[in-house]
Amino acid sequence: MLQRWFMVILFGCSVAGPLNAATTTIKVAGSTTVLPIISEAAKQYRALHPELNLTVSGGGSGVGVSNVERGTINLGMASRPLSASEAIRLGSKIDVIPVARDAVAVAVSKTVYESGVKQLSLSQIAAIYRGEIRNWREVGGVDAPILVIDKEASRGTRHVFASVVLGNARARAPGATIITGSNNEEQAVISRSDQAIGMLSNAWLNDRVRAVAVGDGADALLPTSENVAQGRYVIKRDLSILVPHNRSKEVDGFVDFLLSEQGQSVVQMVGFHPVR
Amino acid sequence: MILRWWLASSALLSSMTIVLVIGFLLHSSWPLLQQQGIAFIAETEWYPFEALYGMLPALLGTLWSVALALLIAIPCGVAAAILCAEILPPGLRGAVRFGMELMAGIPSVVYGLLGMWLLIPLLESQLDLLTGRTLLAAGLLLALMILPTIMVLSEDALRGVRRSQREAALSLGLGWDVSLWRVLLPQAWPGIRVAILLAMGRAMGETVAVMLVVGSIDRIPQPFYNLLQPAQTLTSRIGREMAEVSVGSLHWAALLFCGLMLAMVAISISLLAHRRVVTA
Repeated sequence: MLQRWFMVILFGCSVAGPLNAATTTIKVAGSTTVLPIISEAAKQYRALHPELNLTVSGGGSGVGVSNVERGTINLGMASRPLSASEAIRLGSKIDVIPVARDAVAVAVSKTVYESGVKQLSLSQIAAIYRGEIRNWREVGGVDAPILVIDKEASRGTRHVFASVVLGNARARAPGATIITGSNNEEQAVISRSDQAIGMLSNAWLNDRVRAVAVGDGADALLPTSENVAQGRYVIKRDLSILVPHNRSKEVDGFVDFLLSEQGQSVVQMVGFHPVR
Repeated sequence: MILRWWLASSALLSSMTIVLVIGFLLHSSWPLLQQQGIAFIAETEWYPFEALYGMLPALLGTLWSVALALLIAIPCGVAAAILCAEILPPGLRGAVRFGMELMAGIPSVVYGLLGMWLLIPLLESQLDLLTGRTLLAAGLLLALMILPTIMVLSEDALRGVRRSQREAALSLGLGWDVSLWRVLLPQAWPGIRVAILLAMGRAMGETVAVMLVVGSIDRIPQPFYNLLQPAQTLTSRIGREMAEVSVGSLHWAALLFCGLMLAMVAISISLLAHRRVVTA
């Protein structure tokens, strides 16, 4: 949500900026997971091309897809593959270009982690989200109810998480306590609670928001960059940009930059795994 | 002549706008009504992926949060208005009123953030809740947001009571409290009532602040009057989902239907308020 307001402000600034200078604007919106990559890359790209104006805003993968479709933005950001119906509608109109790899971490509050919940199997996570496990005691923690955080249905992180954990990208999560939107909002909730579990892009983890290892027994893996790069961590995805076929050469230039060495070093710097 | 035309066309245009808005909302939500009838209003399951558009949880959430806000804000606001209009010396009165007007001017997202960072942790620690994102949080925040409306308008209403009425009360030898209950408040009541209705409209339509603190989960609290559980309101649902739907889909129609319901309630409130102003 914060990003949406941030976007409004950014947009306002970009409109109020120097109108007389002949600038080309590239508008980017969508997944808040991809957002840090693109906004950092945009900052560096602007240093190379000061005549360009890049506005980057969030909203979620669903927003990225629908706005590219409506033509209100030049580039979309998505943290999930296109759904079947989106692929039918848009397959011939846009390219989905992966720019980074990411793991969706099963994130818990620091207190939960330190009380002993350091790993969860997929079936335990599923049971928590289905409402079959409601207390941390049942999965090795202290006796406290679980604050289960679900995400808005259109969010890419949720699609990936639900398809791996619950078996279907659109599966219900009857165990959920509250629903949040952006990574930022979810991170804030987890870090301020001592009983929370949520799904969070790997790059948003910090000291107060820890990832648990996912898997059975000794096979449980943390979403470290090696585990992601080698494809061993199961809740993973490509972070992509959605590029319409009828794009300008400025947009092409920015896409090439994202895939260049400098662009991919931004990916690493922000905390994701490069694709090249 | 020109003045008349100008007045007439302005009046016509503004009254047409409301017809347009309602027409647009009705037209856009028509596919949903056509396909599912009207029964979904009383259904409890909102799950767009499965074409389930039960409105009851969000309706109930809106109702509870607004009711709670009014329950808190009306006594506080009217009491503050009485204090300002009847007791405080002009200087202090100006200060209190200025504060209230400032409060009314704060954007709602600021209230939302305030709720998120102050109110929610407070509720969690004081009431020992799993999460502070509850109907209670939404109601408290809304109460804060509508308090200035109620206070400022009620004060105006109280100060609008004719001097002769106060003098009559005095000359009858009525005590201050009796004249307040029997003379001032009944005389000012039409104005106070308008204040309450306007505040109610604002509380019902408030989106961002509520969205940040209500939890946004489409589930009826258990039991249904449990304000200490996360819930959903109509506005918070629209705010969270509108950006992501494809225009023209059934989901879109359902969100616009939420808007239609809010618009209908808002219009009924204005009609009520209007009637009172006219008869007063």
